[in-house]
Amino acid sequence: MKNIIKYFTLLLVIISLASCEDFLDVNIDPNNPVTVTPDLVLPTAQLYTAQVIKNDRRLNTLGNMFMYNWSTSDGFSWYTDEYKYNVTSSFYQGIFNDTYSGALKQYQILDQLDSTYSCYKAIGKIMKAYHFQLLVDTYGDIPYFEALQRSGEATPAYDDAKLIYEDLILQLTAAIKLIDDNRSNKVPGADDIMFGGDMDSWKQFANSVKLRILVRQSSMSGRDGYIKEQLNIIAQEGSGFITEDASVNPGYVAQQDKQSPFWEAYGKDASGTIQMNNNATCASDYIINYLKATKDPRIDRIYEKPSTDHLGVPQGLLDYDTPVVDQYMPALVSNLGPGLLKSASMDAVIYTLAECYLNQAEARQRGLITTGDDAKTLYQKGIEASFNYLGATGAEGYYLQNVDLVGWDASPNKIKAIITQKWIATNGITAEQSWFDYNRTKFPANLPVSMQGSTPDRPVRLAYPSGEFSSNGDNVPAQPNVFTEKIFWAK
Amino acid sequence: MKKVALLLALLLLGLQGLFAQTRDISGTVTSSEDKSPIPGVSVVVKGSTLGTITDMNGTFSLKVPGNAQTLMFSFVGMNSLEVPIGSQVRFDILMYPATFGVDEVVVTAMGIKREKREITYQTQKVDQEELVKIAPTRVASALAGKVAGLQINVQDNGVNPSTQILLRGLRSITGNNSALIVIDGSIASQGAFDALNPSDIADISVLKGATAAALYGSNAGNGAILVSTKTGQKGQKFTVGLNAAYTAEMVAYMPDFQSEYGTGWEGAYDAVENTNWGPRFDGTLRQIGPTFPEGYGLATQMVPYAPVKDNALHFFETGDTYNNTVYLSGSTENSSYYMSVGDQRTDGIVPDDTYQRNTFRVNASKKMGKVELSVSTTFFTDKTDVVGSSIGDQDRPLYWFILNTSANIPLSTYKDWQNPLSYGYADNYYNAYYQNPYWAIGTNRNIDESNRFIGNLNLTWDILDWLSFTARGGMNNVWGNGKNWRAAQTYNADLQPSAGAVSSFVEDSEYQTKTYTGDGLFTANFKFLEDFSLKSILGGTVYATDYRGSTLRANNLSIPGFYDISNGTGELDGSVDEELKRYFGFYGDFTLGYRNFLFLNFSGRNDWTSTLAKGNNSYFYPAVGLSFVLTDAIEALKNNEILSFAKITGSNSTVYNDLSPYRINEKYYQATGFPFGSINGFYLDGSAVDANITKEKINTSEVGLNLGFFDSRMWLDASWFKTITSDLITNTTPSRASGATGFLTNIGELEGTGIELTLGGSVFKTKDFQWDISANYTSNKTVVNEIYEGLDEVAVTTTGQYGIYAVVGEEFPQIKANVYQRDPQGRIVVDPVSGHPLTESALANLGSTIPDYIVGLNSRISYKGVSVAATFDYRTGHKYFEQGSEQMEFTGRSLASVSANRQDFVIPNSVIETSPGVYVENKNIPVANGRQSYWTDVYNDVKSNYVKDATALKLRELAVSYELPANLINKTPLKKVSLGFIGRNLFTWLPADNHFSDPEFNNNNDNRIGIGGYFQSPPTKSMGFSLNVEF
Repeated sequence: MKNIIKYFTLLLVIISLASCEDFLDVNIDPNNPVTVTPDLVLPTAQLYTAQVIKNDRRLNTLGNMFMYNWSTSDGFSWYTDEYKYNVTSSFYQGIFNDTYSGALKQYQILDQLDSTYSCYKAIGKIMKAYHFQLLVDTYGDIPYFEALQRSGEATPAYDDAKLIYEDLILQLTAAIKLIDDNRSNKVPGADDIMFGGDMDSWKQFANSVKLRILVRQSSMSGRDGYIKEQLNIIAQEGSGFITEDASVNPGYVAQQDKQSPFWEAYGKDASGTIQMNNNATCASDYIINYLKATKDPRIDRIYEKPSTDHLGVPQGLLDYDTPVVDQYMPALVSNLGPGLLKSASMDAVIYTLAECYLNQAEARQRGLITTGDDAKTLYQKGIEASFNYLGATGAEGYYLQNVDLVGWDASPNKIKAIITQKWIATNGITAEQSWFDYNRTKFPANLPVSMQGSTPDRPVRLAYPSGEFSSNGDNVPAQPNVFTEKIFWAK
Repeated sequence: MKKVALLLALLLLGLQGLFAQTRDISGTVTSSEDKSPIPGVSVVVKGSTLGTITDMNGTFSLKVPGNAQTLMFSFVGMNSLEVPIGSQVRFDILMYPATFGVDEVVVTAMGIKREKREITYQTQKVDQEELVKIAPTRVASALAGKVAGLQINVQDNGVNPSTQILLRGLRSITGNNSALIVIDGSIASQGAFDALNPSDIADISVLKGATAAALYGSNAGNGAILVSTKTGQKGQKFTVGLNAAYTAEMVAYMPDFQSEYGTGWEGAYDAVENTNWGPRFDGTLRQIGPTFPEGYGLATQMVPYAPVKDNALHFFETGDTYNNTVYLSGSTENSSYYMSVGDQRTDGIVPDDTYQRNTFRVNASKKMGKVELSVSTTFFTDKTDVVGSSIGDQDRPLYWFILNTSANIPLSTYKDWQNPLSYGYADNYYNAYYQNPYWAIGTNRNIDESNRFIGNLNLTWDILDWLSFTARGGMNNVWGNGKNWRAAQTYNADLQPSAGAVSSFVEDSEYQTKTYTGDGLFTANFKFLEDFSLKSILGGTVYATDYRGSTLRANNLSIPGFYDISNGTGELDGSVDEELKRYFGFYGDFTLGYRNFLFLNFSGRNDWTSTLAKGNNSYFYPAVGLSFVLTDAIEALKNNEILSFAKITGSNSTVYNDLSPYRINEKYYQATGFPFGSINGFYLDGSAVDANITKEKINTSEVGLNLGFFDSRMWLDASWFKTITSDLITNTTPSRASGATGFLTNIGELEGTGIELTLGGSVFKTKDFQWDISANYTSNKTVVNEIYEGLDEVAVTTTGQYGIYAVVGEEFPQIKANVYQRDPQGRIVVDPVSGHPLTESALANLGSTIPDYIVGLNSRISYKGVSVAATFDYRTGHKYFEQGSEQMEFTGRSLASVSANRQDFVIPNSVIETSPGVYVENKNIPVANGRQSYWTDVYNDVKSNYVKDATALKLRELAVSYELPANLINKTPLKKVSLGFIGRNLFTWLPADNHFSDPEFNNNNDNRIGIGGYFQSPPTKSMGFSLNVEF
């Protein structure tokens, strides 16, 4: 009896001992760190960048759909909203959402670093500019100056697209200066899965993003002075533009969650099984006919050639079996080709060298750049870079043809030729660029609309995602007409 | 606190020596029912603390002071009795069983027993008989319809179903809203509740609101369910018993399917389609599945192009459950014991789904002088073996494959999937896009084993007549492991050109949760100044829980059929999680009584928790309440023949909800895909955290009325409550442009109000015939008063097209979905070219997903040994997202898809907007693509089409039992034999527009209430037999 009382007294003592604060000192998460170094933030950010471009139903897919590059083989109910141009607040909202709360969230952490990490900070700025331009080109006015503050500003205001564009240029200039001024030994290495810590490449990439931003505004009236001035700053800086495709590759490999995103989305899964998307996605009739008509050797690299020869499907086709039953089965149509689907470990290109040359060619042709290679050379270099990426041969034979929009000299409208070549060069890679250019120039001309479309032409922008109406309703502009309300540079 | 103790001590001193001379009295107490002696009856001299209890033979003896006037006899389940002493020395007392309600003893927070008249809030007791009348395998499902204010949602019909337990609706937007479970005095968990063998339960006391549960501190906000397990009754002879039950389970109803069109696409017949967009059925013989080459050994399959009646239904089997418990119990003068072994074996309605479990319980107590020690221990082990949930190359649930079988397919003929020369074999199966569900069952398994040990030690020391001390230690340990595997499947590309090959994996998981609780409390009861009483409790509590779980997964296995991590190729996936939470608290509870008709209660508790920042982690929970027994207080109401008892109560309390562990800091997580070799990558948590995050506050006010009529043969309990939750811990949805996907902060205010009514009693009562009926009514609603400046809604879950939200000014949880654009007259606005309806860009509020009211009806009619008992439950006024229909529109098997004969049609009552604000009736613009894609792409995109009335009336339980009369068995060693027919969910009535499934089914056991029907197989009913024998 007494013993029992003793034990319970002991229990009580334990309970009261427990009452000291140490007992409660167990709120440190053993599973997840509260702080990490920038070398752990950067590769994640860059991986996200690749995903925003390359994942299923992100920017590249969108471009391929709107630019009539891709269609669907028989047996798949794929891309139905795309074919109807059913651009609602839920259409491709991942582009907006994932860019902000994925890649940009990470780059913002880098941009907030102090001068100890100047190089990381510069990369943060450059990549922010890269993504914000894509967002402006897709949505127009977006949250920018108040964005990415997380708990500091849950409802960031929307800013004027043109003001954002101008600030992006300033940020890129500042980033280059940060790299030049860097005194720290905290420079990225293998953790930089784009350029392996080569800061000269970063300066070239910064200049190339500037080039993209400036050329995009080149169809605007009264903007030439500004563009020239900015292109001059690039020339003064002296690093030049990218000399290789800018791409992300952390060491992609054929394993679960580790595959190159475009391969994962449209190639095979980690076990080597062909993805449904691969069977479902194929060439449109127009692109096949176009590439055939221009004797473009790239056709066999961009599209898979069935034993029965190339075959494209009209976009938005509803009745697949008329006049011939099963004519568009996956085995009979041109699915995505080996130049696009290289391997599970392929680089995820986010800015092609071909596009960079063609951007330069356009600037040169418009007289915005007046030194260096002439427009024709740049144009041909662009085509060569495209052939190289796709693994096609015979670039010279191709661009020397006396065919409009192929041969430089054979093309009366040089801008039209440049933009049309950009359409082919970005097909399946960064096809969103081609859509932006189309909205700006209406090139390539005579591009068909989807059979299910009920408008004369494709959308010129996307609608703001539904989340903005529920969580940032006071700031988000009224939903624009996606067929008529163009982005500022296309007006 | 010290002052209170001093005051109490003074009062006590004053009470000493009031009594001088004494004399001896004695007697026996017997039951009016069977004239047997009742041991354990409390015999107390009124107005004193002097008393004793009756022994094994029902006898007692007591020294009483000379001036003692009245003896009070009380016993659980019997009407208390007051007997004048006078000069009598011998008392032979007959006690009558208590009729419902009034004088019952109620188990309150911390396991303290109180008379119902004393308590200042609402509780409801459910006894053993009510719980086990249909031999349930889970306690929770047996509570449905029986308690006002309680909503039990049985969320699926798997072999190991899960249940959501809500008391008085919801109080928190993203926090936990499930009632606290307490077993034998120790805080447990819903897992422990589900692990209980229902046969082992003595009774359940439901503490409906935060006030009732306030002593439980941060766990109190959602009310509490206190479970007492069985123990040997005092005086009970050694008894051995057997509860045996068998039930058969079958599909209650299937979704409504169309039976006019079969396999095909865009109106054309297609032999390999999963969809039903083919031509109209014509009965001709047509090919299904691939064309087999010459000499393949199997002829190309031909079936009539006609609907196969119930082809989906016949996939499901009749399930079996055997549920047996052997128990023994008894007692001696100073000890009692109860032991049981339970065994449940279930075969589900899905072929090969099995579940088995065993429960073992040992409860014992021993009294040594003034100290009583008791233990209650249980060990539970179970094994669930069910079809995997990520089947095929699209990782779909099983039901998907059944629903993706066209109407003309004889599904149940494909069982022989392993035979290469059968139509069920992967290469030969008719469906080019979704695999044979029988194949799925054989090649995808999810096997889980879990074990649980719960031990409670309880020591009660009656230090003095008026003072006792209780110490409790509890442990609730659960550990288990799981294996989930999927076999690879490749296809012959000639036969199955469209099939996506399936990759293999094996996933092993282990987990363990250890929870320890400790309580020490003093109770002191005094009477003073003639008319006053004080019952007080002072105590402390400590709680610690420690979770650890890990999973390892290997993909793309090398050796088919060998499911071990070593068989994987590529890197292993894996994770380990640990979580610790601790708190301690001190509490006091004081009930001041006046003349046994007026009671004033004060209680308070202070907690310190590990989950909030130091300096911000202490909080105090006060509660106050009043109970007033009118029938004892007001002269005019005394001894009234009709109104025998009337009590009013009022109370108010404030409690706080805690944060989960580790949530006060923003953290980094390893990003998917990393590490790539030596390169590692982390991402910042999507959710941002408010640096000043704090606890959420729940204030509850409640008034109640308890009436008893006709000597309490009938009774009425009524209550009204109002709950204000403020500083809601909520993961709000910021603009994604903020860089965060969520923002954890304290926001806004929820206001819940409700009414609960219970009316019951014996409608008829004669010697042989009795009809007892009890009806309960619950209505409660929770409205969002505010969120914060600039934000008027928070999504609990959303796809962007539909979701569950908290919306200012609306009931919570609110279902929102996109809706048709309508003109001011409510007509649908259509596109002038396509004829397709236009939708609003903003989602509309479509209603609450919890019922406006619930009515439960329990009836028991008994005649001699036969009794018939039934439980009905009716819920209405709420909405439900029929996810099954929404997901299946694509297959063209819905009734909607044939409502316009698969042709372009003019949407009835539609308009065209000719210029802004001008609407003209649409008479001639039909919807384009009415043959198919209107339905799959346009109609299916308007998610409000799938928001349905969730009203349901269910006959949840029906039990017919027969107890053999005593004269038949009294010559055998048998003490009791009863046989029964039992039925569960035998009848369900749903409104006509609810075509798919049980609106009670839910995908998640949290606040995302109201989305379901696609991951769960169809609803079931079951019926069977039960047997109870005692020796």
